[in-house]
Amino acid sequence: MNAAFSTHELGKRYGSQWALRDCTLEIPRGSVTALVGPNGAGKTTLLRLAVGLSRPSAGSVRVLGLDPHADAAEALPRVGFLAQEHPLYGGFTVAEMLRVGRKLNPAWDDEAARARIAELDLPLKKKVRSLSGGQRAQVALTLTLAKRPALLLLDEPVASLDPLARREFMQSVLEAVAERELTVVLSSHILADLERVCDHLVILAVGRTQLVGPIEEIVASHRLLTGPRDDAGEVARMHDVVRESHAERQTTLLVRANGHVYDARWTVHELDLEEIVLAYLGQDAARRREAVAS
Amino acid sequence: MIWLSWRLQRTETLVVLGVLALLTAWLVPTGLNMWDAYQHNSLGACIVHQALRCDSAIGLFRARFGGISNLASWFNLLPGLIGVLLAAPLVSDLENGTYRLAWTQSITRRRWLLGKLGLPVVAALLAAGGLIALFSWWRTPIAHLDGRLDTGVFDTTGTVMLGYTLFALGLALALGAVWRRTAASLIVGFVAYFAARIMVDFKLRDHLVAAVHATWRGRPPASFNNAKVLNFFATLHGHRVISGGGFTGGGVKFQAPNLNKALFHAVYQPESHFWPLQLTETALFTGVALLLIAFAAWRILRTD
Repeated sequence: MNAAFSTHELGKRYGSQWALRDCTLEIPRGSVTALVGPNGAGKTTLLRLAVGLSRPSAGSVRVLGLDPHADAAEALPRVGFLAQEHPLYGGFTVAEMLRVGRKLNPAWDDEAARARIAELDLPLKKKVRSLSGGQRAQVALTLTLAKRPALLLLDEPVASLDPLARREFMQSVLEAVAERELTVVLSSHILADLERVCDHLVILAVGRTQLVGPIEEIVASHRLLTGPRDDAGEVARMHDVVRESHAERQTTLLVRANGHVYDARWTVHELDLEEIVLAYLGQDAARRREAVAS
Repeated sequence: MIWLSWRLQRTETLVVLGVLALLTAWLVPTGLNMWDAYQHNSLGACIVHQALRCDSAIGLFRARFGGISNLASWFNLLPGLIGVLLAAPLVSDLENGTYRLAWTQSITRRRWLLGKLGLPVVAALLAAGGLIALFSWWRTPIAHLDGRLDTGVFDTTGTVMLGYTLFALGLALALGAVWRRTAASLIVGFVAYFAARIMVDFKLRDHLVAAVHATWRGRPPASFNNAKVLNFFATLHGHRVISGGGFTGGGVKFQAPNLNKALFHAVYQPESHFWPLQLTETALFTGVALLLIAFAAWRILRTD
């Protein structure tokens, strides 16, 4: 199997509420994937399913070819997971946290962990509780990296950090990717955090996947078309319309083009990633409004 | 895993050790005094021979140490406090979400849980063992006077404290596994422990082992000595002259001349039932404790 992380019609239900539904995706080895979606789209659920913290209600999930639950003993040492709230033992010193990592992980790289802590100027003797949010995130990331995972799952890693800490944190992730073969999945509801470091994109909306693929391809295939009003039918037959809006005399379509748009009546514009993502998320919001209305 | 469990349980363990140390510091001097008075007045020989002249000596001993002996009924709280306290590390792990940190390292949930449950169970048993050793020594003179079935003595000697401590631990763990709130689970666990203890002490204990029914005239049977009397009455010419029950000692002497011809009826637990009663009650509390711990484990393992 070549995918580092794949799901098939994966679903997770809490009570009667589906947190994630019909999620099918495949993330290739060695990629750095942004998992984007609004709050409550199921990003955290998806990552928790991947690391075996949750069990699927439907479908299946594989990480590095293993079932994260049934093969936990094999899968866990190879998957690094950093939860959004960076849970650490508040009463432990940084040195003690490293000891926790060493005791609980057979492949623990103590030298690298200590080097990272020293490089970041984190005080070994200080209690975790008294560190800043950014420092705590770095300790948690150090713990996750020193485990030497093949797949690194980061859930909203920078959501709670200030801009400077964000940049430092992302820099650390990039360095880790450069150092060794590592597949990374990062979730965020802010695309700007991820765009710089990611080469793949997964958009998760209303608990379902909307778009999966390499960022370059995504950017290359999406186009903004402006043309005469009420003429969208023909375009929709050929291409996937993500969003359409109508003004008095003209229609604007955001499409995922299957090949070129030849029709001369339409003016074709290129789009950047953020506009594309926003279109998908806007579509999601509209659908949710409909769901509430009906 | 053992190191991590130990590190997370360090504070609680130190508190338990501190309590044991304080208790030792208080019990050893009073215990020595008690033993001294006991031996000085040859009370041991008095009890065996049941000589009348000893009554005043025993009375004096009771007057001197009765207060401290009553105070000691508060010791019943200790197994509960220690038990719920030792549940705190696991419950606070659930409350703070740090269990997720452990579950995403390289060890499986089962191994994690084994360490998290094994250590407090061992600590609870050791602490209970310490309490038993301390109280057994300290209480012996009183046990000789009142009998080992006296509630205050029974509760703090033998093996029952092992069961009590595990029971309190199990209660707090089970509540914590459902609730995930440390303070609330510990407090409610302790209250539930206390309620269950009162129920067993006053309602259930006397029936755990079948009581002896006896009828006699004149001298009571030997097994009545130091027995825990559940129900007791005497009839003379078909009329009920005295009745009672719910006391320990049994060896009450009925010297009134008019009672020589009375017919006595009694339902009692003889002192020889001490170990059967102890072991049954220990098994009862330990069994419930194990069920509660198993429930907590099941509940935690299926978290998602």
